[in-house]
Amino acid sequence: MLIGITNLKLSLHDRPILNGVDLHMQPGEIYGLLGPNGAGKSTTMSVLTGLREASSGSLSVLGMDPWSEREELHRQIGVLPEQSGFYDWMSATEYLRWFASLYGRQLTIADIGGHLTQVGLDSKNHDTVGTYSRGMRQRLGLARALLNSPKLLVLDEPTNGLDPRGRREIHDVLLGLSQQEGVGILLCTHLLDDVDRLCSRVGIIHQGKSVVEGKLAEMLATQQTGIRYRVRLLSPPNDTTLPSGTRVVAKEGEWWHLDIGAGQHPDAVWRALLDSGWAIGEIHSEGGGLEELYLNLTMAEAAA
Amino acid sequence: MSPITLIARKESAELLKSGRGLAWLLALSVILSVLSLLLVSNTELSLLDNAQVVYMVMGTITALGALLAVVLGSDAIAGEKERGSLVPLLLAPLSTTDIVFGKMGGQVVAWIVTYLLSLPYLWAVGSSGQNLAEAIVYLAVFGTPVVLGFGFYALGLSARFGSVRAALITALITLMLLASPLLLGPGLRQSVIGKAFDAVNPFSAAVNSFDSVVIDSQPLSMQLGRLSVTLVWLILTLWFARRSVQAVEI
Amino acid sequence: MKKTALWLGACLLLIGANATWAAVPMEITLVADNANPQSPQMGDHMKFISTIKNSGNAPAQGVVAWISLVQVDSGNEQPVDLEDWSAHKAVTQASLAPGGQITVEWPMRLIQAGDYRVVISAVERSTQHIITSPFIDFHIKRKPVVESQRILPVAFGVPLMLGVLILWRIRKRWRA
Repeated sequence: MLIGITNLKLSLHDRPILNGVDLHMQPGEIYGLLGPNGAGKSTTMSVLTGLREASSGSLSVLGMDPWSEREELHRQIGVLPEQSGFYDWMSATEYLRWFASLYGRQLTIADIGGHLTQVGLDSKNHDTVGTYSRGMRQRLGLARALLNSPKLLVLDEPTNGLDPRGRREIHDVLLGLSQQEGVGILLCTHLLDDVDRLCSRVGIIHQGKSVVEGKLAEMLATQQTGIRYRVRLLSPPNDTTLPSGTRVVAKEGEWWHLDIGAGQHPDAVWRALLDSGWAIGEIHSEGGGLEELYLNLTMAEAAA
Repeated sequence: MSPITLIARKESAELLKSGRGLAWLLALSVILSVLSLLLVSNTELSLLDNAQVVYMVMGTITALGALLAVVLGSDAIAGEKERGSLVPLLLAPLSTTDIVFGKMGGQVVAWIVTYLLSLPYLWAVGSSGQNLAEAIVYLAVFGTPVVLGFGFYALGLSARFGSVRAALITALITLMLLASPLLLGPGLRQSVIGKAFDAVNPFSAAVNSFDSVVIDSQPLSMQLGRLSVTLVWLILTLWFARRSVQAVEI
Repeated sequence: MKKTALWLGACLLLIGANATWAAVPMEITLVADNANPQSPQMGDHMKFISTIKNSGNAPAQGVVAWISLVQVDSGNEQPVDLEDWSAHKAVTQASLAPGGQITVEWPMRLIQAGDYRVVISAVERSTQHIITSPFIDFHIKRKPVVESQRILPVAFGVPLMLGVLILWRIRKRWRA
């Protein structure tokens, strides 16, 4: 197991911050840690990365205790914190080269260029980091997290500040790392789209406590939560056969309201409909799915 | 290369390559230049013996070195925290000892640069040659623990407060307090309280040694008590900085 | 009676006049010390020696003698405050016997360049006017404590060098 955390508790200045967090993650998984603002996601990440000592609980990250063995742990993980600063007077190349040397790695300019290209930054740009936009700084932070070829990536809001195309590029990078290199990725985010697209396993925490944890598909199936979409058709379809678990809820002229059931991935449904000759002009989500699951669980926890 | 060296090199590079660092060095050199030009042009200042002029410049260099050390030290931890670059550093495979000694290494380089920048001024005012060589040596021997001590003290405050402004204000007040006997003049320092304060004040120890060696041509053996005061100051501030960084809260 | 009154008045006048003429005559001399530098400059030390002699028949009581220094540069004539020049500004003598004399040394450190005149003045209790010595004029040369040939290149050169370095860094960034 890559991360094994059971009943993690943390108090700061006699105030309970985490009150029973569970997180279990296998190698190669992309795990999404969800929760509302102030739920304790970032605090959990700070504990499992060795920045804070837990008050109690069973903790194992890469087989190590994150607090007492944090120096060795830091050699093997890559972290992108939520607030990630740099030395603005350095160029990206200078910064990454210096940071890699902290890991005992002497990277060449070509190596650095490869890391920059991997996250979508121009390796020939010698501007200082101080001139970078928020999105560029986010990409640079990801490049920094990848410098030591980590076995585990811990990312706090990695697509913050990125436009939709940038987010998709980062998604592709993360999927590649997970599927091709077996890197485990712990994703802390409030963007459900990111979780939906990337994560095979999800944990939801609320008010410092785990609400639910498990495989995303199983959770959606158990909760029997479908996703509703509003689709504009350019012309009425000849073949109205729908994939299993998908149904037409309503029609309003060229606008059709479809329900895609739990366990069905929307991308697969659209592919199937297009293959059937459906002329789809626009698709809009109308909620449900992970969002509904998340809201149901966190509201239930709040009410409890 | 050890992490301490890597961090110290980064700190030094920031002083020498970044606009902010070079601007500070430029400001220091302008202050010394203005003082030097006043010594040449002002008839009242020209009443002083050449040895007294050298002594005055040595005291100014020590004060400016301490001021720069306080500015750099106050920013060392709290500045990184405020800019968001501290957490990535704490997530690298470094111990807090690596970080604090690396930062201290940066302070050492800053003082070396200040000292080297000041040597032309000492040479220029030391025209009669009276004890000029001793002045250069004693500025290093006594100036180093005093200046570095202020830097380590500010570094410790930076780690404790987590705020550059709070650390800088506290460190500057301490600097002014320790430098105050020199501003108040010899008369006030002759009281019982003044003498007691002078005896434990590292700044006074350094400046009084400059006076004794450069003006009165006293040997090193007569300065050992004052040297020990500066070394105790250095050790205490080093301990304070190390303990403070170990207790840093993110 | 009239004659007696006249003689009495004349005697009183004579006594009064004699009282005036009875003020002890004093003489003051002033010479420069032989060891004084020939061409004094700022920072040098000089010494003047004066002798105050009671050349009268009666003792001089409560003698006070002091040194005065005046700057006589044309357009800049002014008395000089001896605060920094000398700690020895006056002497007193409770009583100076007839024919007696005291020799006083007046050391001073030369603080400022220019043309100067030094004089010794004295009074004693019965005298209604100041007695002065002859004055001595001397010139103090200017001496630079700090050599401008050394200071100027450093004072301008070091900041200039740093300024050039800053500009070069800025230019390097722009080009990159």
